[in-house]
Formats: sequence, structure tokens, C-alpha cells
Amino acid sequence: MTPKEQLRDLLLDVLLLDPSEFRFDLTRDEIPTWDSMAVVAIAVGVDETFGYHFTPEEATAIRGIQDIMAILQSKGIAFAD
Amino acid sequence: MPTRPQLWDLDQLQHSELGRTLVLVTPSVSERAAQLLPYRQIRTLAELSPDWDSLIVIGGGTLMDEAKFWRKTHAPDVRLIVIPSIWGSGAEVSPVVLLNRQGTKQISVSEEFLADIRITWPELAASIPLDLARNACGDAWAHALEAFLSPLASEDLRHELAEVIRQMLGLPLANDARWFDASAQACAAQAKASVGLVHGIAHSLEGPLRSQFPTAGWGHAKLCALLLWPVMAFNQQQSPRWERLMQAHKLDAARILQLLKDLHDPQAYQQLLPLLDQHWLDIVRDPCSRTNSALVRPASKAFFVDGQFQ
Repeated sequence: MTPKEQLRDLLLDVLLLDPSEFRFDLTRDEIPTWDSMAVVAIAVGVDETFGYHFTPEEATAIRGIQDIMAILQSKGIAFAD
Repeated sequence: MPTRPQLWDLDQLQHSELGRTLVLVTPSVSERAAQLLPYRQIRTLAELSPDWDSLIVIGGGTLMDEAKFWRKTHAPDVRLIVIPSIWGSGAEVSPVVLLNRQGTKQISVSEEFLADIRITWPELAASIPLDLARNACGDAWAHALEAFLSPLASEDLRHELAEVIRQMLGLPLANDARWFDASAQACAAQAKASVGLVHGIAHSLEGPLRSQFPTAGWGHAKLCALLLWPVMAFNQQQSPRWERLMQAHKLDAARILQLLKDLHDPQAYQQLLPLLDQHWLDIVRDPCSRTNSALVRPASKAFFVDGQFQ
């Protein structure tokens, strides 16, 4: 599984989305289940999946999936298709 | 840090001027309470009006939480003094109240729920039936471990909890008055972090279990005792976080897991499986599950339902 697929599966599970609803440009405002508890769960899932632990500042600044990808890319994780 | 509740002993209570005081006490200890505390005992909180000065509540977590809620909403100036008759819930130190309403758990959090004074009454430990005492130990262990592993815990808090866990490792899974303080410490610390999947499952299944098996004694503490081993085995297998934190704080992970296994009842767990299967998505959505140490996914159900932890 590619990192992009791993991230997609993680977010589907945490945000309880149907695969047909998923886009990599989704923002937090578009997803009612993306509450503060989901932020914690995403951080836990990213740590388990990619071995990177968001700083509190990073976690609270995330506004959408692109922000997650940008943080992980800055840590050397590539999201090419 | 909240300044409440102050910790008193029974002697202080008996020699303090409390003003007009009522006592709400669980039936199992009402006779002993009447011998020691010369105040009128009430049967329901509806008897407490704002013109009283103090309310002493002696009971378990449910009774203490109902009193905390009633005091805040109906008589906020009344001094609330709580004496746990069993350990585990930590309701005597917690700003959280859990109310059973229409078969579900309603959770509210406010500093105004905090009792003014809490009292440890060691004699009450001997009055607890052994099976309830063991389950209460499970409740206390669930608070300590889930808070220690919580993604929301600070390192200072983990250090504090590691000390509580070491203390708890020295206590028997049975009637021992030292559990009152260990449990209160675990719960006070937990209130500054979060709990995890043990509580997520317990909150989701308590209502359905009570409906389906009304006389089987299913309650929060029993579920905690039962679920700790599978959930901690899941956390350990799912994420390196368990080992990392145990090692960093020099905790004996193998000994802890063995103790949790001793608390586990395989026959009772079998009874739980159909509801675990049926309510798994509710469990995944529960706020406590979402702050679990390891990520809880829809597919994680197999670990618990297929018994992969055994």
C-alpha cells in the first residue's frame, strides 16, 4: 500500500467517511466528524502509520487533508500516486 | 490544579460545625453511618433544598455523581462532603458526572461539580463483597492505565501516574482500604488527560447489557475489570507506544498484563461478544475510544470478537 493509500484509509476510518465522499482536498469545515477528538485520533493514527508524532502546534493548525500531507512531506514521506 | 475537594478524615468531620446537615447514604452502610454521624438521613436528593448548609453523601460513584449534579443545579451553596463506600469511580475527586439517563450515559464536566470535602473512611473497605472489590480494582486500574497511555497526557502527568501505578501494583485485587487513596489519585490524574477504549466500550455497552441481562450485575466496574486485558493487549500489539511509555517510566509491563489477565473472566467475556459485535461502530465513535492510546478502527473489531488477544 502506498503512503497515499495508507493516509486515505486512516482518514476514512477516523472520520467515518464513505469512500465515495473522500477527496484529498477535503477541509475540516466540510467534515462534521472532524472534531477535536478526531484530531487526537488522527495524530495517534499518523504516529502508528508513518512514525511521526505531530507537535501540538501542528495538530491544532491542521485545517484539511492537504495540511496533513504537507507536514508529512516535510518529514520525508512522499505522497506521489 | 483545583483546590477542591479538601481531604479530611472522619474525626475532622465529626468535630466540625457543619450547620444544618443531611446525609444521603447507600443502604449497605446506613446503620453504621447513623451511629457515627448524628444527622438526618434522606432517601432522595429531592429532600435537599438550598436552605440546608451541608450534604454528606456516602456511597458509590453513581450516588456521588447524582449528588454532585443535584447540588450544582438545585443547591449550589450547600457544602458537599463525599465519602466513597467503594473505590474505583473516583467520583469523589472528579469534575465529571456520569448520569444514567434513558439507558445511556450522559457525561457532563464542570469544576462546579467538584465536592468541597472528601473523606476516606477505611472501615468501609471491609464491608465490600469480594467480587465487587475486585471489579472496583479494575475500575481504578482502567483510570490509571488509560490516563497514563492517553495521547493527551503530559509527561509530568505520566510521571505522577507511573508512581500511582507502582503503588497499585503493591495492592491486592481485594478489600484493602489503601485502594481508596490510590483510586482517588488515579482518577484525579485521569481528569487532566483522558480515558480510552476500556471506557469507550463500557459506555457503549452498559445500557444494552442492563436491558438484556437486568439481573446479571453488569455495571461499569465489572466491564472495566473484564475489558482491561483485551484492550491493553490491543494497545500493546497495535502500537509501539505501550512499550515505549512503559520502558520510559520503568514500569513492569509484563507484571501489569498478568495482573489484568487475572482480573479477566473469560466466561463473562463470551457473554459480551454478541453485543460487542453489534455495537462496534458505536464504540469506535465514542469520544473515549477516540482518545485511546492506539487507534481504534472499524476493522479492530476482529481483535476483540475473534479473541486474538488470548
